[in-house]
Amino acid sequence: MMYCIINDGGDTGYCIVEQLVQLNHEVILIDRKDQLPDSFIKMKSNRFSFYSFDFYQTHLIESELKNILLPGKKINGFVYSAGIGGVRPLALTSTTFVSEMMNANLYAFLEFARLLSKKTRLEIGGSIVAISSVSSIKGLKSKIAYSASKAALDAAIRGMAAELAERKIRVNSIRKGWVEADLKHDFIQDNIALSAQDDHARQLLGTIGTADLAKLVCFLLSDESRFISGTNVLLDGAYTIS
Amino acid sequence: MGKFENKYILITGASKGIGFTLAENLDNLGAKLILHASSEDGINKLTESFANKGHLIFRADFSDPLSLEEAWQSQINQDIKLDGFVNCVGLRSRRPLNLLKPAHVMNILHANVASFIEMCRLVCRKNGFNPGLSIITISSIAAHSGGPGVTAYAASKAATEAAVRCMSKELFKKEVRVNSLVCGQVNTEAYSDLMETKASADDVILERQYLGLGSTQNITDILLFLLGKESCFITGSSIPADGGYLS
Ligand SMILES: NC(=O)c1ccc[n+]([C@@H]2O[C@H](COP(=O)([O-])OP(=O)(O)OC[C@H]3O[C@@H](n4cnc5c(N)ncnc54)[C@H](OP(=O)(O)O)[C@@H]3O)[C@@H](O)[C@H]2O)c1
Repeated sequence: MMYCIINDGGDTGYCIVEQLVQLNHEVILIDRKDQLPDSFIKMKSNRFSFYSFDFYQTHLIESELKNILLPGKKINGFVYSAGIGGVRPLALTSTTFVSEMMNANLYAFLEFARLLSKKTRLEIGGSIVAISSVSSIKGLKSKIAYSASKAALDAAIRGMAAELAERKIRVNSIRKGWVEADLKHDFIQDNIALSAQDDHARQLLGTIGTADLAKLVCFLLSDESRFISGTNVLLDGAYTIS
Repeated sequence: MGKFENKYILITGASKGIGFTLAENLDNLGAKLILHASSEDGINKLTESFANKGHLIFRADFSDPLSLEEAWQSQINQDIKLDGFVNCVGLRSRRPLNLLKPAHVMNILHANVASFIEMCRLVCRKNGFNPGLSIITISSIAAHSGGPGVTAYAASKAATEAAVRCMSKELFKKEVRVNSLVCGQVNTEAYSDLMETKASADDVILERQYLGLGSTQNITDILLFLLGKESCFITGSSIPADGGYLS
């Protein structure tokens, strides 16, 4: 099988690539960051190829994809693990800030979905997975724009799933809680703004391992999950019930 | 005395459907209204119906959220302290994924999400409102159950509901409540237009909306409750007004 991973320098994306390659799949990584982490440089697999461009400039996606996916090449699915975070109180939630968030977390995903779901590019029975967040259903103060963008993403996949079911293509998102990979970046920033420490403690099973998230992604890509579509799978370490 | 005597209430998207019926009701109940529309026709209709009753009318385009600050500030003076804000603006979108280009998605999200957040930001500035301010935005069952072609619209409505949950947690300290009303099919101009474009006269949604097609008065009755003090314990929630559809 051949899969495409769209990533913005996040460990989650790298971890998914690793697991898919280990499962003998072919993987195309499209990353906004043009430098791969050291661990990756070692991974000289001929089943892995890497491209980089700034896909938050959504108008570039169409032409770049033409170079990446040559005519006749079809994929079996793709994963959108890019996106941005950010906390701001309402008084500072300017329209520009909201737009930036929507752009990275929704528009870019939809544009990839629009182009990669074409008959000539995505096989029958393919699978699309987007990484969302529990923020989509749980409100935290100062996460207005972020939550809105993730809820929009979760709703968008339902519309797509209904449409693409005709070709047995499935579309799902994962509502993740705190994952190891996030703690590096967002946590410090959010911690100051929201005293997210308490919030983190509500995740009864502790921090989710990046590899665990990647495993769920691989499952949703695989044929084993062929009856799961249009859902927002919770992977939250029991956060939402606490 | 009317229930909303001398209460200042802002209705965005007041020229049609739900917003217009709400404006008529609130006018009867003694409220002082600030009514918004974006088109010339909309402004004319509002002027004919409400201008001689002392209500304010203003025009702004939600497709351009950056323009709202100026449009709002030119309307509002220091004596106006809002007690209610109901957002009835919502651009429709029906397009297969194939045609869902970024420019279209952005337009829907700008009008339905960014502009709503921007209006909340402007309305909730210091001295702009009275404690007890109730904000309600109209969402849709599409945010909760997907259908083919409504990807952008559903995304925008789900986004507003998520934003409402966050704002309620921030604004309760200022004694502001924020809720979403999740509407099923309601008999408005927009609904008739939609049915005209369909091949069959049967609306499949109505099969599951077992209380039948809603009227704008049905929705207005719930909005009046959410605007009033009786609902002072309800905030941050998405309240279905869907004739049973989501159950
Ligand atoms: N009707 C239903 O069955 C139904 C179901 C679920 C949810 N809803 C939601 O309920 C709300 C009201 O719907 P409705 O059917 O009663 O009325 P509507 O026909 O959607 O019109 C609402 C208002 O939006 C204004 N508007 C349109 N484009 C605008 C723009 N670019 N900027 C600012 N304002 C603009 C219109 O004013 P002008 O035309 O004068 O510009 C009008 O006053 C919407 O959010 C809709 O999504 C409706």
